[in-house]
Amino acid sequence: MASLSEMYDVGWEEMRDKLRKWREDNCRNSEQIVDVGEELISEHSSKLGDDIWIIYEQVMIAALDCSRDDLALTCLQELRKQFPDSHRVKRLTGMRLEALERYDDANKHYDAILQEDPTNTAARKRKISILRAQGKSTEAIRELNEYLEQFVGDQEAWHELSELYINEHDYGKAAFCLEELMMTNPHNHLYCEQYAEVKYTQGGMENLELARKYFAQALRLNNRNMRALFGLYMSASHIAASPKVSAKVKKDNIKYAAWAAAQINRAYKMAGRGNKDNKCSIKAVEEMLESMQIAMP
Amino acid sequence: MSCLLSCLAYVKMYLHSCLFPRCSVNGLLLSSSSAGGAVCVTDCVPLLHSHLPLAPITQLALTQVKEDLRVQEGDQKGRREPGCRRWPNRLVELLQALVSRVPLPVLSPVDFCRLGTDCCPFLSRIMLRQWEETRDIASQLLESGDHGLLVDFDGHLDDITKDWTNQTLNAKIAELSSPANGSI
Repeated sequence: MASLSEMYDVGWEEMRDKLRKWREDNCRNSEQIVDVGEELISEHSSKLGDDIWIIYEQVMIAALDCSRDDLALTCLQELRKQFPDSHRVKRLTGMRLEALERYDDANKHYDAILQEDPTNTAARKRKISILRAQGKSTEAIRELNEYLEQFVGDQEAWHELSELYINEHDYGKAAFCLEELMMTNPHNHLYCEQYAEVKYTQGGMENLELARKYFAQALRLNNRNMRALFGLYMSASHIAASPKVSAKVKKDNIKYAAWAAAQINRAYKMAGRGNKDNKCSIKAVEEMLESMQIAMP
Repeated sequence: MSCLLSCLAYVKMYLHSCLFPRCSVNGLLLSSSSAGGAVCVTDCVPLLHSHLPLAPITQLALTQVKEDLRVQEGDQKGRREPGCRRWPNRLVELLQALVSRVPLPVLSPVDFCRLGTDCCPFLSRIMLRQWEETRDIASQLLESGDHGLLVDFDGHLDDITKDWTNQTLNAKIAELSSPANGSI
């Protein structure tokens, strides 16, 4: 079978740079990382210099994700040889045990790391991941809350906690976590959009209005966010349709909904240009927007 | 209540879960009902792979699927356009009937680790015609990487040029399951 470099006519430097980009972007495209990384390690390891160690780590984690224990063990053994006392490598050993569902052994491993270094956040977060993997959401939420009391700036932890609360349908607390994230990442349209979705799900006029505002904010930050565009249309339509709102609020929300509908139609027309199969979906979107339209007084 | 799962529905459910192995996924089962009382699931629409408990996108997806079915049904009357799917008449009414008969919402969680007779708690029995052939088709598409062709509604919202109705994949599954290929 031809190697990746032969199939795609790429050199080892491009493969190395690709792995670096995926590392920096924190992409979880584990299958691709395994394909590229395995070839790089087996054929070009002598050319990589000190980069080899971080590549071993990246490929090892990707290999665990793809159930490639053989490759993961190879990478881990190289890292252990080079860094025998490293907590970072010990964490990887724990992750391998997790992948093998040996959770008790993994926990003992992480406890040993925490005994030597109580401030090791990576080991603490792995213990919380084990609880999540075991379906123990309540315990995971409790541990994560305790963790965030000490490490209040850990955005990954806030995001994880918001996901846990959403899965438990505790939307109020999920909203609180997303508010923390929005404060530290005011230009992130995805947090605004997710916050708006949580508010919409909570329901009630006040939450719908907040949802509409945050969908609008998400669009201000990224005008191609289709979820935010649809969300703006739906929340504005619901507000306008409510008998409890004033005439001015109704009129304003009709305007917002109309604007959103026009943007949605325009986006679908642009997307469907030259593609006759898309005629069906454009028509369906138009009819769907009409069916969700508020009744005019 | 018994359920007869078509090859198309099973394969798409399977591929949807394979495409997102680290996420919970959900979708819509489309069916007709036969005289014997069994529910015949003829197709499925993969919907979401993220934030399943949140309302807006679920509401949007269900509405858009319903309208797409209406449009397809409207196209059926009078002429047939190439490229559009054929749907049985009254599919929207059948969908509503399915919703009213099934105690859980139409979005049925399926644990693929245990896909078999015990994965749908509200159904006493799941039947699959020619299970071996169906399973072979699913494995073949997975091994060839064709599960990447599947687009769920979440994927469509990320890129609206992608077709959540999965015409290309449907055609591929139909081709593989055609009697001419020695299959079903």
